Amino acid sequence: MRIHVGLITAALALIVGAMPAGSAYARIDAIELWRDRAEAAVGRAGGQSGGRVTGSVKLTLANSAPSSSSAYERRSVGPRPKAQPELRNVVIFFSDLPGKAAPTQASIAQKDEQFAPHMVAVTAGSSVAFPNEDPFFHNVFSLSRGTSFNLGRYPSGSSRSKTFTRPGIVKVFCEIHSHMSAVIRVFGHGWFTVPNEEGTFAIDNVPPGDHTLVAWHERIGERRDRVTIRAGAATQINFTLPVLEDGQ
Amino acid sequence: MRAPRLLTRALVASFLTVALVLGAVFAVLSLRVRDQVRQSVADNLASAQQVFTKVDGRRHQDQRASVATLAENPTLKAALDTWLTERGAASEATSQELLATVQREADKIADRVGADVLAVADLSRRVVAAGGRLSASWPRGVVIGQPIEVSSPSDRAVSVGSGMYHVVSVPLQFGESPIGSLELGTALDAGYARELADLSRGQAAILSKGSVLASTVSGPAARDLAAYDVSQSGARTMTLAGESWAVQPLLQLGEVTFLALASIDRAAAGQTQAALRGLAWVGLGAIGLAVIGSMWLARTLTQPIDQLSKSLSAMTGDRARDALPLPGTSRELDQLTNTFNSLLSSLASAEAEAEATYLGAVRALAAALDARDPYTAGHSERVSIFAVAMGEELKLDSESKETLRLGALLHDIGKIGVPDEILRKASALSAAEYETIKTHPSAGARILRSIPFLAPHIPIVELHHERPDGLGYPYGLRGDDIPLAARIVHVADAFDAMISARAYRSGRMPVEAIAELRRCAGTDFDGPSVEALVAALPRLVAAAEPLTRSRIDEPWGRSVGTARNRWSSDPSRASNVVETHR
Repeated sequence: MRIHVGLITAALALIVGAMPAGSAYARIDAIELWRDRAEAAVGRAGGQSGGRVTGSVKLTLANSAPSSSSAYERRSVGPRPKAQPELRNVVIFFSDLPGKAAPTQASIAQKDEQFAPHMVAVTAGSSVAFPNEDPFFHNVFSLSRGTSFNLGRYPSGSSRSKTFTRPGIVKVFCEIHSHMSAVIRVFGHGWFTVPNEEGTFAIDNVPPGDHTLVAWHERIGERRDRVTIRAGAATQINFTLPVLEDGQ
Repeated sequence: MRAPRLLTRALVASFLTVALVLGAVFAVLSLRVRDQVRQSVADNLASAQQVFTKVDGRRHQDQRASVATLAENPTLKAALDTWLTERGAASEATSQELLATVQREADKIADRVGADVLAVADLSRRVVAAGGRLSASWPRGVVIGQPIEVSSPSDRAVSVGSGMYHVVSVPLQFGESPIGSLELGTALDAGYARELADLSRGQAAILSKGSVLASTVSGPAARDLAAYDVSQSGARTMTLAGESWAVQPLLQLGEVTFLALASIDRAAAGQTQAALRGLAWVGLGAIGLAVIGSMWLARTLTQPIDQLSKSLSAMTGDRARDALPLPGTSRELDQLTNTFNSLLSSLASAEAEAEATYLGAVRALAAALDARDPYTAGHSERVSIFAVAMGEELKLDSESKETLRLGALLHDIGKIGVPDEILRKASALSAAEYETIKTHPSAGARILRSIPFLAPHIPIVELHHERPDGLGYPYGLRGDDIPLAARIVHVADAFDAMISARAYRSGRMPVEAIAELRRCAGTDFDGPSVEALVAALPRLVAAAEPLTRSRIDEPWGRSVGTARNRWSSDPSRASNVVETHR
């Protein structure tokens, strides 16, 4: 699979020539792999023509405010599911860059009544699998515009997948477990990334020029910043979320 | 004006006493009732407050629980979350379809919970969709109070538009991440006030910042309620529109105060009325008893007094009375009666003494009259004895016999005016002399008229020479027109004259006299009276003997013989009678 992706990326890079093309992988390792391969390809093609943007994201809002949802004390029958790092629910992307990226494959497991990871970002045409790793039935459905679907209920151990062709936001839910949700960000290009658990990120081979970089979180909202990309140079940018809600 | 009767006085006195006592009892009772009512109203409100706190707390807990359960609705949450996310991304146009889904779910939940209004709100508590009866007053975009914070209470009073609502919030979240909330609103309006009133079994009011949001009391009382001081806690008494009310705070929800109210005056009025009704019955009974009692008391007083006064008035009417029985109802009355009785007896003895004196005088007069002629000595006494004996035979009452005795004694009193020579004349009387003799009944009556207590005897004196056939004198009355007493005395007089000797004849034997009387019965003499004399005769012989013996020397036998001679030599009945009666 990796060889296949790499071949496509290399071929694309050769065809486009000076214009660095990249495709994003839903998963970090895929993006990193892509980066290595792309750098190698660009290096072979004769020097760096794109810039690099690095930075960090900081969340100031304790988004997961513990609030009681019922009049009675919560009772738990099983171990509490491991909380996922909230920073991994942020996606950083250029909003105004054209270009296409190769489709990939991603996976969102259903484990401990949670979608894990909670958020994935994929290129258009990519398919996402939803393996059921819990010992009971799960369901996957979405009401999102353009990409509403329902994969039905399926038992433990089985998996179903869905291909997302339209760029946009797809919210995914389980109709059996109302507290489960996941979000899939579908992009038409490849200039996007998800910060690591410390909140740092980097996007390479960005075409030089003034662009708009966006940090987006499904509930906290987004922050946009103009960045100027110079060829062969790295631009540092720091995002602080949230954006105040009433600014919408 | 006449003085009131004793009965009236007793009635008025007892009535006034009862009325006074009842009035005092009522005054005391109504004060006590007011106090007790105040206490019980306050107690009621306090217990209503406890009940309300428990019921309302439990109701909200249950409502929160059921809303929380309903909030775990995958369709609602998915639609809301998707809509919110798509709205947040500027590139995405909002989806009407998602909103419709959210709206549908909100309507369903509102219907199931029975809420006035139920809104699905975002994290800023901005309404996305609302369902329920009052959903129109919570349009999309309206903010339900402050944004959700960690410490924000789930229960609060919120002003939305023109209304005030009791809002219970339940967060909508995925795991630990909130996406919005369900806002369950109860309108604090007149309907809610009525519910509160039902629960507190009185009146209820909802106040906010010194103004009345809603209340079941109306008019000026509601206006005065605005003066309620929230900072003071606990139950108290307030004056609303001039009435005294007990006020109990039920619940404080932010700026909003829930009050339970009850009018002490109104509750007391009911109780007082009930007490008054009871008292009215008691009063009726008491007055009835008082009337009966005073009537009885008045009677025990008035009866002896009536008797005394009747006796007194009878005394003035010259009628002797027996001693009164002691009433025995009170010592004073007994004493009065005793005094009266002794007065009566002394009066009676004085009267008797006076009568005896009179009688003695009259007797002396009659005896003196009889003594003028030795032949008529004792005549009046004997006629009196005969007449009384005849009266007894005729079953006359004692009063009539007494009249007979005295009347017979005095029957010839008029002869006092007849000269001695006519009275004692042994030879036959001339017509003129006879006329003189005939005046003696009228003369006697004239004399007696001057003595009041001898009035009953006048007819005997005046009419003792009248005959049943009407040939008597002075008036010539017939038969029953002549009083019985006069008829009796007539017979007795004739009998004594026949058996007595006269200057011109000797006395006849009683048997002969009786035969003569019987012969002339019906014409000369009254028949029944003659028969009475015949019946009484055996008793009379013994009684009359000493009298005749003492006055007349000749024995009965000779005298009778002489009389027979005289009788046969003079056949004329008229002259015979005249002679007899000289």
